Amino acid sequence: MMILGTAFGMVFYLLQAVSGESGYAQNGEFEDAELDDYSFSCYSQLEVDGTQHLLTCAFDDPDVNITNLEFEICGALLNIKCLAFDKLHEMYFIKTKKFLLIGDSLIHVKLGGKNITSKKLNIVKIVKPEAPFDIRVIYREGANDFLVTFNTSHSQKKYVKELMHEVAYRQEKNENDWMHVNISSTKLTLLQRKLQPDAMYEIKVRSIPNANYFQGFWSEWSPTFHFRTPEITESSGRMDPVLLTISILSFFFVALMVILACALWKKRIKPIVWPSLPDHKKTLEQLCKKPKKNLNVSFNPESFLDCQIHKVDGIQARDEAESFLQDTSPPQLDETEKQRLRGGMQGPTWPSEHAVITPKTFRGDSPFGSLAGSISMCEALVQPSSRSPDCKEGGKNGPHMYQGLLLGSGTTNSTMPTPFPFQPGILTLNPAVRGQPGLTSLGSSQEEAYVTMSSFYQNQ
Amino acid sequence: MFHVSFRYIFGIPPLILVLLPVASSDCDIEGKEGREYQHVLMISINDLLDTMIKNRTNCPNNEPKVLKKHACDDNKEGIFLYRAAHKLKQFVKVNDSEDFNLHLLRVSQGTLQLLNCTPKVRIKLPSQGEVQPTKNLEDNKSVKEQRKQKSLCSLGILLQKIKTCWNKILRGSKEH
Repeated sequence: MMILGTAFGMVFYLLQAVSGESGYAQNGEFEDAELDDYSFSCYSQLEVDGTQHLLTCAFDDPDVNITNLEFEICGALLNIKCLAFDKLHEMYFIKTKKFLLIGDSLIHVKLGGKNITSKKLNIVKIVKPEAPFDIRVIYREGANDFLVTFNTSHSQKKYVKELMHEVAYRQEKNENDWMHVNISSTKLTLLQRKLQPDAMYEIKVRSIPNANYFQGFWSEWSPTFHFRTPEITESSGRMDPVLLTISILSFFFVALMVILACALWKKRIKPIVWPSLPDHKKTLEQLCKKPKKNLNVSFNPESFLDCQIHKVDGIQARDEAESFLQDTSPPQLDETEKQRLRGGMQGPTWPSEHAVITPKTFRGDSPFGSLAGSISMCEALVQPSSRSPDCKEGGKNGPHMYQGLLLGSGTTNSTMPTPFPFQPGILTLNPAVRGQPGLTSLGSSQEEAYVTMSSFYQNQ
Repeated sequence: MFHVSFRYIFGIPPLILVLLPVASSDCDIEGKEGREYQHVLMISINDLLDTMIKNRTNCPNNEPKVLKKHACDDNKEGIFLYRAAHKLKQFVKVNDSEDFNLHLLRVSQGTLQLLNCTPKVRIKLPSQGEVQPTKNLEDNKSVKEQRKQKSLCSLGILLQKIKTCWNKILRGSKEH
């Protein structure tokens, strides 16, 4: 009996279980099962085709028998109450411009015109952007980074313009090791040092509405882009050797300039840059220094008796050029040339008196510059070889004559510089001292008796 | 003392209750933060104005009398928007473009969607012939064109007023 009762109990239990699996249940349970089967989800795409929007719905359960099932949207439509969906395979969609984009809509699932289930949603809260495209990666050697750029169709749209983008990249050999970066613009910079050298990477991007007014879901991933990171060579890690050499040389050059500037500042640089004014006191002190030996500083003429000095009273015109010429046994002059001699023998810089000096008087070392008055040779001084003097003013043959004269006078121990431009003129000598041998040099050993302005500069 | 407190208890509160509707607005405005306006309505208004700038030639400087009646006064912004939104419907089909009409409807219906007005504010719509061009086939094309231009001019002024009123509402909500 007990065994029989147990067997019956097991049979009833099995029957109950089997009947439950076959779907035989109470009404409430049956309704719940049906509702679960007809759950659906939708997403919207705004301005997907010009000004037209797209709303797509699909059942969550792919095994649902969609035969005779219809979708309908009501509310938040322009100038119309409801719109029916179109069916394509297992998806229902509607393409229209008539979304109000403000307020909620109701989506009904209908079977044979009868509402099976409904769902309230807002079109602007289920927006799914279009996938980005044209992703590119450019390596910038100067910056040592990778510039990632991509494009999105939403930049041209009116409504869903602001998006958040997610960039994902990984090394190809490391699966499921994606790095993610969120950006709001369409450019991203990846630093080279954060990537493995000489490795192959892949990168992709997707978008989502910025959640300001439009919200929704992530878009599909963009097509993947592959790029390879460069190898790290020795030269890439070091500085350019040429640049290094130049920088070192420049440094040493600058250091050298600084040292030289410091060393030569006082003696060389400062006098040029900031010359000091002459100090009168120091100058006077130098002047009043003890004279050197053999320096006869005196204004007493008797102390100069040893020196042969010829006083020069003046320069006067002389008609007796001939006598001079006779002394030096010159050839006879023609009348014309006498007149010429009388005429303009005066140079513009000379006084009227002038005298002719024989070449002999010039023998010796008589620097012209040492005399108070200067002496210039008349062109009348004729070489023994020449026939007639030419005393024309500034005559063309002047320089030649002068040179000839120098040659004709024999050896001159020193060259005779011409401190003044060659002017025809005759210098008059004081008759009192005419007997004297003439101008003689003061001697190179004597110092100047007079102080010149140059001493001021020397004292500096 | 007793009669004084009696007056204050039973006199003043009913007075407040009576005066309250006078001070309050007849239309509540949703979306004062401006999201719906900035992301939907303003786009449609700008599109309409751009289209009309391209099409219309000369508009008179004076405002049509129809539009002078209503203004976006303080505490009456809701009423103004309600009436303006209804008036917009009258301009549908002035332009033959479908997009133009849809934008017009979006502004009209979108504004009404954001307003919650009391029943007494809901006015009757004006007669169809008040603003729309006449459909008299005997009119010359030039006359029709003139009336169309005139309607577009009025529509432009109305849209500008709606835009100004929305900006005023949003400025007021930011200050508070």
